[in-house]
Amino acid sequence: MEILIRHGKKYRFDILWAFISVTIMALSMLWQPKLLQKVLEAIIKNNTHEVDKLGLELIIIAIVGLIGGAINTIFAAKVAQGVAADVREEVYRKIQNFSFENIEKFAASNLVVRLTNDINQVQNLMMMFLQTLMRIPIIFVGAFILAIVTLPKLWWIIIVMIVLIVAVAGVSFGRMGRNFGKMQKSIDHVNTLAKENLGGVRVVKSFVQEDNEIKRFTKVSDDMRDLNIVIGNWFSVIVPAFMLIANLTITGAIFFVGKMVDSDPTALAAVTSYINYLAQIMMAIIIGGMMMTFASRGMVSLSRLNEILKTKNTLTYGDTPEKDIVGNVEFKNVSFTYPGDESPTLKDISFTAQAGQMIGIVGATGSGKSTLAQLIPRLFDPTEGEVLIDGADLKNVNEKSLRKAVSFVLQRATLFSGTIADNLRQGKRDATLEDMKRAADIAQASEFIEKLDKQYDAPVEERSANFSGGQKQRLSIARGVIGSPKILILDDSTSALDAKSEKLVKEALDRELAGSTTFVIAEKIASVINADKIIVLDEGKIVGEGTHQELVANNKAYQEIYQTQKALEV
Amino acid sequence: MQEFKQGTKFFVQYLKQYKLGIAFVFVLTIVSTYLQVKAPIFMGNAITDLAKYVELRLNPMTHNLASKTDFHHALMMMLMFFLFNAVAMFISSLVISRITGYSTNAMRVGLFQKLQKMTIKYFDSHKDGEILSRFTSDLDNIFNAMNQGLFQLFSNITLMIGILIMMFRESAELAWVTVASTPITILIAFFMIRKARKYVDLQQDEVGRLNGYINEQITGERVIITNGLQKESVDNFLEHNERVRQATFTGQVYSGMLFPLMQGMSLINTAVVIFFGSYLALHGDMSRATALGLVVIFVQYSQQYYQPITQLTSMYNMLQLALTGARRINEVMVEPNEINPTNGKHIDNLKSKIMLDDVHFGYDANREILHGISIEVDKGQMVALVGPTGSGKTTVMNLLNRFYDVTGGSVKFDGVDVREMDIDSLRDHVGIVLQESVLFSGTIRDNIVFGKPDATDEQMYAAAEEANIHDFIMSLEDGYDTKVTDENSVFSTGQKQLISIARTILTNPDLLILDEATSNVDTVTEARIQKAMDNVIKGRTSFVIAHRLKTILNADKIVVLKDGNIIEEGNHHELLAENGFYAELYNNQMVFE
Repeated sequence: MEILIRHGKKYRFDILWAFISVTIMALSMLWQPKLLQKVLEAIIKNNTHEVDKLGLELIIIAIVGLIGGAINTIFAAKVAQGVAADVREEVYRKIQNFSFENIEKFAASNLVVRLTNDINQVQNLMMMFLQTLMRIPIIFVGAFILAIVTLPKLWWIIIVMIVLIVAVAGVSFGRMGRNFGKMQKSIDHVNTLAKENLGGVRVVKSFVQEDNEIKRFTKVSDDMRDLNIVIGNWFSVIVPAFMLIANLTITGAIFFVGKMVDSDPTALAAVTSYINYLAQIMMAIIIGGMMMTFASRGMVSLSRLNEILKTKNTLTYGDTPEKDIVGNVEFKNVSFTYPGDESPTLKDISFTAQAGQMIGIVGATGSGKSTLAQLIPRLFDPTEGEVLIDGADLKNVNEKSLRKAVSFVLQRATLFSGTIADNLRQGKRDATLEDMKRAADIAQASEFIEKLDKQYDAPVEERSANFSGGQKQRLSIARGVIGSPKILILDDSTSALDAKSEKLVKEALDRELAGSTTFVIAEKIASVINADKIIVLDEGKIVGEGTHQELVANNKAYQEIYQTQKALEV
Repeated sequence: MQEFKQGTKFFVQYLKQYKLGIAFVFVLTIVSTYLQVKAPIFMGNAITDLAKYVELRLNPMTHNLASKTDFHHALMMMLMFFLFNAVAMFISSLVISRITGYSTNAMRVGLFQKLQKMTIKYFDSHKDGEILSRFTSDLDNIFNAMNQGLFQLFSNITLMIGILIMMFRESAELAWVTVASTPITILIAFFMIRKARKYVDLQQDEVGRLNGYINEQITGERVIITNGLQKESVDNFLEHNERVRQATFTGQVYSGMLFPLMQGMSLINTAVVIFFGSYLALHGDMSRATALGLVVIFVQYSQQYYQPITQLTSMYNMLQLALTGARRINEVMVEPNEINPTNGKHIDNLKSKIMLDDVHFGYDANREILHGISIEVDKGQMVALVGPTGSGKTTVMNLLNRFYDVTGGSVKFDGVDVREMDIDSLRDHVGIVLQESVLFSGTIRDNIVFGKPDATDEQMYAAAEEANIHDFIMSLEDGYDTKVTDENSVFSTGQKQLISIARTILTNPDLLILDEATSNVDTVTEARIQKAMDNVIKGRTSFVIAHRLKTILNADKIVVLKDGNIIEEGNHHELLAENGFYAELYNNQMVFE
C-alpha cells in the first residue's frame, strides 16, 4: 500500500480530478430518485410549471453524470497507467542494482512474472479503485442517508436488507473463494497432463498407451467438470437470492407505505425513490464485495513487488578510485557455500595466476568449476577467504575497473535481440567495425557473419532463434574478447564447436590476447592440455595443480580422468 | 462468416444431446422473463391503487369508500411473481451450469482423444504451446461464453422483446420515448467497442514487447552484470516503459469508457422518460392516479430495458472469442488420424530380420531426406547408425516405428511391410529409448510400468536393476512411490535416462531402437548409463543411433549415413581399413554428434 501512496503523490491532482468527477457521477445517480419523488409530488399537486422545471433539471443532471463518468475514466486510466509504469520502473531499476545472488535467489523467471503479471494486477487494482471502488462508499452512504430521509419510519427495512445481503454475500463469496482455489489446482492438473502428453507423444505411441492416457485425462477432466458444476450451483443460488432479497424488500416497503399513507399521504410519492435507493444500496454492497475479492489479489501482487523493493543488495562496491588492472589473480583460502545450501561447494581453494598465464580448470560435473569461475567477476563473494586481483581484495576493487578488465564467456551463450553489432558492443561500448571484425576473427565467427545479408547489422531474434548453437557460442566468445580484457574466463564455452574450430579459437586467443590472463574451464583435458597451469577440482577441493606433463606424471586424480578420456581416443 | 458457420456447427454437435435440457431452459427463460416484465405492472398497479385510495380518503365525500383491498391484491401478485421468478431463475441456472459443465468436458476429452489418434507429423509441425492453448484459452473462452453468454444472450433478447411488448401495451407514447435513444446508444457502444479492441490490441503488442525485453534482460542478467550494462538496460527499459504507458492509457480509456457511458445513457433515458411521463400525466387524458402508476412502471422499464443493451454489447466480444475458439478446436478435430490398416497383420515375435528396402523419405513432399537406403538387421544383431547432424539418422528411427510412412520403398518386419501390420501390434514389439527422456507426472512406479501397467513388483525391480537405477530408487525416502513432477528436479538428466531405459526393458521388445543421448553427464553417471545400455542391448535385436564410441565398437554392423545416403557399411575394423569417411571421423577426435 505504501508503494501506491508514494507513487500516487505524483498524480495527486489527477486523483483529485478522478475523485471529483466520480463524486459528480455518484451524486447525479443519487439525485435522480429524489427528483423523481418531487416530480411525482408535483403531479399529485397538479403543478405543471414545477414538473417542467424538474424535468429539465433531471435531464441536465443525467448529462452531467455521464460527463462525470467519462472524465473519471480518463483520469483513472491516467493515474493507473502512470503509477503502474512508475512502479515497474522502480522495480526494474532495483533489479538492475541487484547482485547476481539476489537474482538467483528470486529466480529470473519469478522476477519476470512479478514485473509483468503482478504489475498488471496492481494496474487493474488502481483502475478499479479509481473507477468503481471510490464510488461505492459515496453511493452506499448517500443512498442510505437519502433512503432514511425519504421515509424515516422505514429505517429498519434498510437494516434488514443490508444484514440479509451481507450474510448471503459473506457465506457464498467465502465458499466460492475456496472452490476457485480448488479450480486453479484442477486447471493445473489438466494442463500438466495435456502438456506432458504433447511432449511425450512418441513415448505414449510407442508403448501403445493411448487408451490409458485417455482414461487418466478423462478422470482429471471429470473432476474439473464436477468442480465447475459446484461453482455453478453456488452461482445459481446467489443471483436469484440477491434478486429475491431486493424484491422482497421492495414489496415490503410498498406494503408499509400503504399503512403510512393513512396518516401521511405524501409518502406515496416517496415510495419510488425509496425503492431506487434500496436498489442502489444493494448494488453497492454486491459490487463492493466482488471488488474486495479482486482487490485482495491485487494486494498479494503488491506485497510480492514490495518484497523485491525491500530486498537488500548482497553485494556492494566501495568508493575506490578507478585503476587499470594488470591481471594477476589469487585465491586465498577461498570457501564458498551457496545461500540456502548446507555444505560448501568450494573448500579452501588457494592458487595464483600470473598476468598473461593460461589456467585450465578441470573436474567432473559438480566439482565446483563454474562456481570458482563466478567468483572472479564477483558474481558472488566468497563465504570465507578472499579473491585478490593485482594484490587487492576484490571487495575493494572499483566496479568499473573490474568490469572493464574481466570478461566472462558462459557455457550457455546468451544473446539479446537486436543486431549482431548490438551484441558485440555489449563487450565494448564504442567498438568500431574493425574491432568487431577482429573479435569475430578470433571467435571464428567472421565466416558466417560475412555470409549474412546485413553482416554485422543482421538481426538477432528473440531467444536468438535464427542462429545455431555453434554460431551463438562464437558470437558470445566474440563479445567476450572484443574489449581485449585483461582477464578472460571461458566457462566450457566452446562445447558446441567442432574440434577444428575449437583449436582455431584457442590459437587465435594465444596470438591476439597474449597478455591476458585466461581461465579455461573444461570437461575435456584436450581443451586445456597446453595451459600454463591446470587446476584439478574434485568435490570442491583442489586435488592437483601443475602442467599437463607434471600432472600426468604424478597426480592420481588427473591420471584417472585422463585415462577415461584417453580410452575414448584409442 | 465462415467462422460463424463452423463455430455454430461445432456447438450444435456438442449440444445436440442436451436438446431436452436446452429446450427446458428456453421455456424457463420465457416464463421467467414474463414474470420479470409483468412484475413492474403490479408495482405500478399497487401505486395506482394506493393513489386512488389516498384520493378517495382525502375527499371527505368518499372517505368511507376507500379500501386497500385492490392495493393488497396487487402486492400479493407482485410477491408471487417475484418468488416464481427467483425459482425459475434458480432452476434454469442449475440446468445451464450442468449442460455447460458436461458439454465442455466432452469437448476437452474429445480433443484429448483426438490428439492421441493423430499423426506424429502433426506434433512435429506444430508448437506444443500452440496446441496446448486449445486446452487452456480456447476451451476457457468457450466455457465462459456458454456459462455467461449463450443462454444470457437468449434471455436478454427475450427480456428486451418482453419489455417492448409490455411497454407498448401500457402506453405506446411512453414506449416510443423509452426506445428513442436506442439507436444512438448502440452506435456509441459499437464505436467504443471497436475503438477499444483496436487500442487494446495495440496495448497488448506494446506490453508483449516490454515483457519480451524484461524476460530477455533478466534471464541474461549474468551477461549484463559481468559487462556492467545495467545502466544501458535501464535506459532501454525506460523507452519501452514509456511506450507501454501511452498505449495502455489509450487502451484503458476506451475499454473503461463503455461502462460509464452506458450507465450515463441509462440515467439520461430515465430522466427523459420521467419528463415525458409527467408531461403526459398532466396534459394527457388519463386520471392522475393512473398516470402516477404509469410513470413508476416506466421508470422500472427504462432501467430494465437498458440492462440487456449494456450486456449485449459486452457479450459481443465474449461470443466472438468463443467462436474463434470453436474454429481453432475444430481445426484440430479435422486433422487426419494415423492410418491403421483394417485387419492389419498381428505378429507374435520377430523371427528372422528387419529390413529397410530402398527407402525414400522426406518430411515435406519437395525435400527428400533419405534417398533410397537399405539396411538389414538380423535377429539378435546390433546395428549402429552413425553420421553427422542432419544426415537423417533420427528419421530412420521414425520410420521403423511407423511414426512416419516412407514415400518410396518399404520397411519390412520378417518380410511384412509395416504398413500392412496392425499399428499397435507393431509398436508392442518395437521399443524405443529416446534421446531426451520423457517422464510423466505420477510416481516412479507409474513411469516404469508405463508400457506394461499389469507388471508385478518383481518384474519392475528386475527391470530397474537391469537399468542400474534400482539402488538409487531404493535410497529415496519414498522409494518407487516417489512423485515425479514438473517442478521437482529430484532426478538428474542421467537418472531420467535410466528410468526411461527401465521402462523400455520392462516391455521386453523384440526390436529395440535406441537414440543415444548426447547430453553432458558426469563420468559416474555416464558409466552407469553405458552399463544399462549394454544390458539392454545384450541378446536383443537393436538399432542404435550411436554417439558413444563404445557402443559403436560393440556393434555387429556400423552404417554410416551422410546427407541421406549410406556411404559406408561394415564393422569397426573393416571401416577403418576402408580409410573413408568413418575413418576420418574416428581419427579426427571422435565427434560423432
